[in-house]
Amino acid sequence: MTVQRTWRRWSGWLFVAPYLVLFGAFIILPLVYGLGLSFFRWEMLSPAPAKFVGLDNYREALFGAGSEYFRKALWATFRFVAMTAPLNVCLSLLIAVGVNAVAGRRQALYRAGFFVPTLVSIGVAGILWRWFFNSEFGLFNAYLAPLGWKVPWLTDSVWAMKSVVFMTLWWTVGGPMVIFLAGLQHIPRHYYEAASIDGAGALRRFVHITLPQLRPILLFVSVMEIIGSFQVFGQTFMVTRGGPDFSTRVLVQYIYETAFTHYRMGYGAAMSWLLFCCIAVFSVIQFRLMRER
Amino acid sequence: MSGILGLRVVFVLAMLLLAAGCGLSERGKTTVRFWNGFTGPDGRTMLQMVKKFNAANPDVHVLMQRMDWSTYYNKLFVAGVGERAPEVFVIHADNLERFMQARFIRSIDDLLAGPGGIAEEEFVPKVWSACEKDGLHYAVPLDVHIMGMYYNKALFRQAGIVDAAGVPTPPRTRAQFLEAARRLARDTNGDGLNDQWGFVFTWYRINLMGLMAQWGGSLFSDDGARCTLGASPNIEALQFCSDLVRREHIAPPPENFDAWVGFRQGKVGMVFEGVWMLADLRRQSDMDYGFAPLPTLGEAPATWTGAHTLCLRDGLSGKELDAAWRFVRFLSENALDWAEGGQIPARQSQLESERFRAMEAQRTFASQMPHIVFSPRVPFIFEFLSEFDSAVEKALRESASPEQALADAERRVNITIERQRAMLEEARGAK
Repeated sequence: MTVQRTWRRWSGWLFVAPYLVLFGAFIILPLVYGLGLSFFRWEMLSPAPAKFVGLDNYREALFGAGSEYFRKALWATFRFVAMTAPLNVCLSLLIAVGVNAVAGRRQALYRAGFFVPTLVSIGVAGILWRWFFNSEFGLFNAYLAPLGWKVPWLTDSVWAMKSVVFMTLWWTVGGPMVIFLAGLQHIPRHYYEAASIDGAGALRRFVHITLPQLRPILLFVSVMEIIGSFQVFGQTFMVTRGGPDFSTRVLVQYIYETAFTHYRMGYGAAMSWLLFCCIAVFSVIQFRLMRER
Repeated sequence: MSGILGLRVVFVLAMLLLAAGCGLSERGKTTVRFWNGFTGPDGRTMLQMVKKFNAANPDVHVLMQRMDWSTYYNKLFVAGVGERAPEVFVIHADNLERFMQARFIRSIDDLLAGPGGIAEEEFVPKVWSACEKDGLHYAVPLDVHIMGMYYNKALFRQAGIVDAAGVPTPPRTRAQFLEAARRLARDTNGDGLNDQWGFVFTWYRINLMGLMAQWGGSLFSDDGARCTLGASPNIEALQFCSDLVRREHIAPPPENFDAWVGFRQGKVGMVFEGVWMLADLRRQSDMDYGFAPLPTLGEAPATWTGAHTLCLRDGLSGKELDAAWRFVRFLSENALDWAEGGQIPARQSQLESERFRAMEAQRTFASQMPHIVFSPRVPFIFEFLSEFDSAVEKALRESASPEQALADAERRVNITIERQRAMLEEARGAK
């Protein structure tokens, strides 16, 4: 009897143990270590040993000598999130509805087609799109040439971020699309049938059946999109290197440069935690918004 | 039962074979890991040299690993600080200071003076002094890659920039340069905008470092304690460059032009680029290009240069040290093979050799040797270069005046200097 009870109490932990070990070793531990690091001044290049400096690193990023670049990087990140997250959610939902309407085998084909770019590594995708975007002999400008247009995709600070967003949509739209598709296929068919009998058109069915039914999935996808977009790095690093004139240098790239090019570990860790706070705040707001009503 | 026995026999045999296989490649051979960033055509040249060395030295196995320069130093630094640096690695001369400060490069003076040594007088003095810190030398220079001018001969002929015999004449002075560039820049399709250019900035950093030196500017005070980027000669040089784009319209605005590709496509008459670009131009058979020393646009001739240097990991000893040093010496002694691919050797005897004299392009670039300047020697080189690049870019894009852009960069670099100085003093005080 007691053996059984002990087993019942602990078996759950036993099952999650492998994950917990990895989660602890590679997520929690570095997180805590990073938090500790952010209160130290530790520059690997300098012979001076690490020193506890309290909130100095945070102060430098927010108000001090580094604030100019920190704010610029934060602003670039916000611009990316504000463009990418909503566009990606809408576009993937749209594609999912479209693909869902296709019957039979062809649906699998379309689903795979939209999902394939997600499988391409960012290194490959980045190089590919850098060629597409090249203003002299790139694919896009070759198509636009007959119209007499020549777009400075990556070389003008007005265009560069939009180009990165464009590329990101291509690269990431497949993931949420598949999730939406799964959600769509779980909506009972008779809801639609009943609505049709009542005379509801396609748009009304979408607004009054599909959207409410998809709400939990919509919440999940938007939260993941926002979190993911805040952490953007690969796209800007591979395609624009943060240029021109730092207009696409997002926060993660700036943190990377601070820590691994300039070797200012403590300062880099502090900025990482500021980014973490940003993401946390937005996630909480989003959960609140979606839970009400 | 017999089945299990059979399996065991197979297993043991397999293990024996495996062991024998390992032994064949490993026994008696010293492995030397060699890291560099030669991912272009230069990598093929280097691979040939490594193969040649391995064939001639059966007791050593050199394993070359190439990675992109843009992430190379991050990896090397982390490996070095973690005491896992490769035995031999390449460092650009302007990065040496930071790596010497990180203390995982071995000084080589004892090896130079030893039985298998190299005479110090062999090396070009300016390059050799770039490898020195506090009286010790930390690297063997492999090459000196100097910036010069490439020009498109076909465009020159078209624009009539030729001598009496019809041979294109590259400009030597500021007046000649401006004259040539104005004649080269024109509107070929009649839309009222220039689409063929006299000149283009291909790599802001080296273009401007070379030109600022021509105006007599320096980037740091002599002791390296203050950044002097905002000094008036530097502003004048940058103003001149900005005018080429904004006032003269002989260089394309950077917002909408792929510079080096534009030159290769025959849309630009002149560029200032490193000798290493030869390899790229040689692969293009339909382009009639020439090369010349940098014209003097400022007060006096000067041009930018860099150098690849060969370094050894600190703490090497015995067979490993011997093998690594033999490899470094081999590369240095055979630097003319390396030079063939579009480089200039760093050893006097090689520069004076018949074989090098026959390399016309490399020799032309090398003729600027008396006027070369390196990137500044400071440990915070990456912070500085990032600011420098950004300032030049701002000025050429006209998002800031040259004066403002350089003053801002100077201020930020000085903050870095101040921070590092304070830490250094603290470290000294602690001792």
